[in-house]
Amino acid sequence: MSKYLEKFSRMRTIIADNGGLINSIKTIYRTDELKSGRLVGEDGFGNKYYENKSYFMGRSRWVDYSLAVNLDYDASQVPPEWHRWLHYIADEPPTEAQLVKRKWMINHSENPTGTDKIYVPYSTVKPKVQAWSPPSK
Amino acid sequence: MLRFWPLRRAVQAQVPLTSLVRQSSTPAAVPDKLEVFIDGKPVYVEPGTTVLQACAAGGVEIPRFCYHDRLSIAGNCRMCLVEVEKSPKPIASCAMPVMKGMRVKTDSPVSRKAREGVMEFLLVNHPLDCPICDQGGECDLQDQSMVFGSDRSRFTDVAFTGKRAVEDKNVGPLVKTIMTRCIHCTRCIRFASEVAGVDDLGTTGRGNDMQVGTYVEKMFKSELSGNVIDLCPVGALTSKPYAFTARPWETKKIESIDVMDAIGSNIVVSMRTNEVMRIIPRLNEDVNEEWISDKTRFAYDGLKRQRLTTPFVRGQDGNLVATDWENAFIAVAEKLNEVSGEQVAAVAGGLADAESLVALKDFLNRMGSEALCTEEIFPMDGAGTDLRSNYLLNTGISGVEEADVLLLIGTNPRYEAPIFNARIRKSWVHNELQVGLLGSPVDLSYEYDHLGESASELEKLASGSHPFSQLLSSAKKPMIVVGSAILQRSDGAALHAAASQLAQNLRAKSGCGEDWKVLNVLHRVASQVAALDIGYKAGVDYIRQNPPKVLYLLGADEEAITKQDLPKDTFIIYQGHHGDRGALMADVIFPGAAYTEKDVTYVNTEGRAQLTRQAVTPPGLARNDWKIVRALSEIMGMPLPYDKIQDVRRRLGEVSPNLGRHGDVEEANYFKQAQQLAQLVKSSPSNEPLSPPIQSLKDFYMTDAISRASQTMAKCVQAATEAEKSKY
Repeated sequence: MSKYLEKFSRMRTIIADNGGLINSIKTIYRTDELKSGRLVGEDGFGNKYYENKSYFMGRSRWVDYSLAVNLDYDASQVPPEWHRWLHYIADEPPTEAQLVKRKWMINHSENPTGTDKIYVPYSTVKPKVQAWSPPSK
Repeated sequence: MLRFWPLRRAVQAQVPLTSLVRQSSTPAAVPDKLEVFIDGKPVYVEPGTTVLQACAAGGVEIPRFCYHDRLSIAGNCRMCLVEVEKSPKPIASCAMPVMKGMRVKTDSPVSRKAREGVMEFLLVNHPLDCPICDQGGECDLQDQSMVFGSDRSRFTDVAFTGKRAVEDKNVGPLVKTIMTRCIHCTRCIRFASEVAGVDDLGTTGRGNDMQVGTYVEKMFKSELSGNVIDLCPVGALTSKPYAFTARPWETKKIESIDVMDAIGSNIVVSMRTNEVMRIIPRLNEDVNEEWISDKTRFAYDGLKRQRLTTPFVRGQDGNLVATDWENAFIAVAEKLNEVSGEQVAAVAGGLADAESLVALKDFLNRMGSEALCTEEIFPMDGAGTDLRSNYLLNTGISGVEEADVLLLIGTNPRYEAPIFNARIRKSWVHNELQVGLLGSPVDLSYEYDHLGESASELEKLASGSHPFSQLLSSAKKPMIVVGSAILQRSDGAALHAAASQLAQNLRAKSGCGEDWKVLNVLHRVASQVAALDIGYKAGVDYIRQNPPKVLYLLGADEEAITKQDLPKDTFIIYQGHHGDRGALMADVIFPGAAYTEKDVTYVNTEGRAQLTRQAVTPPGLARNDWKIVRALSEIMGMPLPYDKIQDVRRRLGEVSPNLGRHGDVEEANYFKQAQQLAQLVKSSPSNEPLSPPIQSLKDFYMTDAISRASQTMAKCVQAATEAEKSKY
């Protein structure tokens, strides 16, 4: 019995952490899951990074994408300094161990596939057939 | 309609079939044949055949470099050494005639060792540059060293003296020479002097210092020069335009037909990644043997330049604007709806195929027009083009080999049909053919009697007062070839009538029988015979007299009819594959397909229908020509009754059955009637000299839209012009 009570109280904590029942339902709708954890930091795009070591490794660090993108979130919106923490490449988040910013580094941008900024490759080979162009008067 | 043409052909062939049956019922008799033994197997061969040929008859292929079926025997490469019983040394089988009871051992240790030794000597002086050699993959030396060579090398260059090295020669823009690779088989020399008839190539020096070349640096001035590339068993002579572009194993070979002249040479088109890489000849004993002309072989780069890849419509400002098919068709349909049917005319050019010709004729006939003309003029007086015997090369290309006296009238076959000229030369060399030429004295690569330049000589020939008449009338199988160019003159009909009269007289005198044809017309463009078979009017006189409101040019680029000949408001449609003269005067341009891009029928000058095969896709929006006409007919609301190429071919067969019988010559036989009708021609030939339009090599290279777009051909013209100035 106490097992179920424990589950129930945890659910209440998680719902409370997510800002009440309405907000929790919104979060589930947006992210398909409901988790609670320690806010580790936030990147320049408004993505929030959380950690809860009571979850097993692989699920213990996660990102809550910026509300600005709503449902159009994408893994490529995570900048590389957070990417290394999120994927357990580094132990310290960029809030604790700042990465050196070199002058050749460009600002992070998400993958433009599916947008109008998509990269379209083009042929640089000379055309096999040279077309006739009529002389203009 | 179910067609029983194979059955009909069998009925036609009844006589040979029965004779075949009769033959097989008699016991096999081998009276005057020699028995020789090839590896112990008895083989019966004619006396005088060589050991190599006897081995081939016995099913054994002897390795060879210098021996070639169509060239004289040189016997200098020694690769064909075989052991013959009771002979102290191995013998060169290509040069040794067979003797009775000869026992040849083609695979004995002695033979094998001899070949290995010869191969070793050849390779000592041959560079190891197969990886960068254009012959790689189709090299006789490569292949034969794998099969007959030694499996290890004794060649050690301890002193670092290097292999024999020879400076490359510049023999013009077509043939690339890497003379270090030469193994001195002398095939190129023999080809040049025997088949091409130009003694440009030869050897200098002896032994290790022997060199094949032109003695002094000059162009290899022949219209057949490209064939030495095929003949060369190694990579010493390769194609300059094809250099380092493709390997034989990565190309797809498509067997097709050439359209650069009216001979219809059989060709193989090598294709890689939708691009024509090169064109090489295909064996057809009746047409081109295994040679093709340089224009056939090297004009393919013209297929990639100046192409019409999209429809054009002339805009308000007078400029041609690229558009799509729909707009182009609508522009044409609006115009065609404005005018009545008989105000529409069509001109077919020299590269048009039979399928598009028949589609266009059906379309215009449905519109109510009969004004369909060909660009090439042919006299319509007398029987005109109603009787096929009037406009065919009736004797056939291979028929020259049977003829004993040949009269050429106003033609220069060397540049109008180089392959036909090679046949004449072959017959002149081997059969002692007597050739007489009436017209400008040109270099035909063989000796001939020049009978004069004007048509008055023709009358003298007919009356028998010309010195050559004696020879002509004593001929058993005389042949008269009239060039299509002189028939285009205003007195063409009279010339044709005179030639026809002379031919009929000769036939009577010679007693050659009904199956030997005397009168021949040598055409210059690939489409002409098919167009006349389908029923086009020859020449554009009809259009000049009845100026149309809409003129449809089907690949007509020779400016037979120009804007000056037409009223100002004439709407011109051009359908073709190159932006050439025709496209410049057009109001709407339909991009068509070139001959490597469609499966269509062409009929050569002897009346042989042949099929081209699609090698590459037409570029851009260009489409197969008959389909364009079919689509236009649909837009005009009078769709032609064929959707598939098979339906068009069936229609072609209805119009003229020979157009469906690919590969066969359909003979024409109404000479007597044609001649009787020709007597109706009242005019007489003028006394202008009978000069063919192409007289020198530099004019040979660029004659149609494809070769005019070709850079290789432009280089050839330049080289030939310079070579004319050269003192060699």
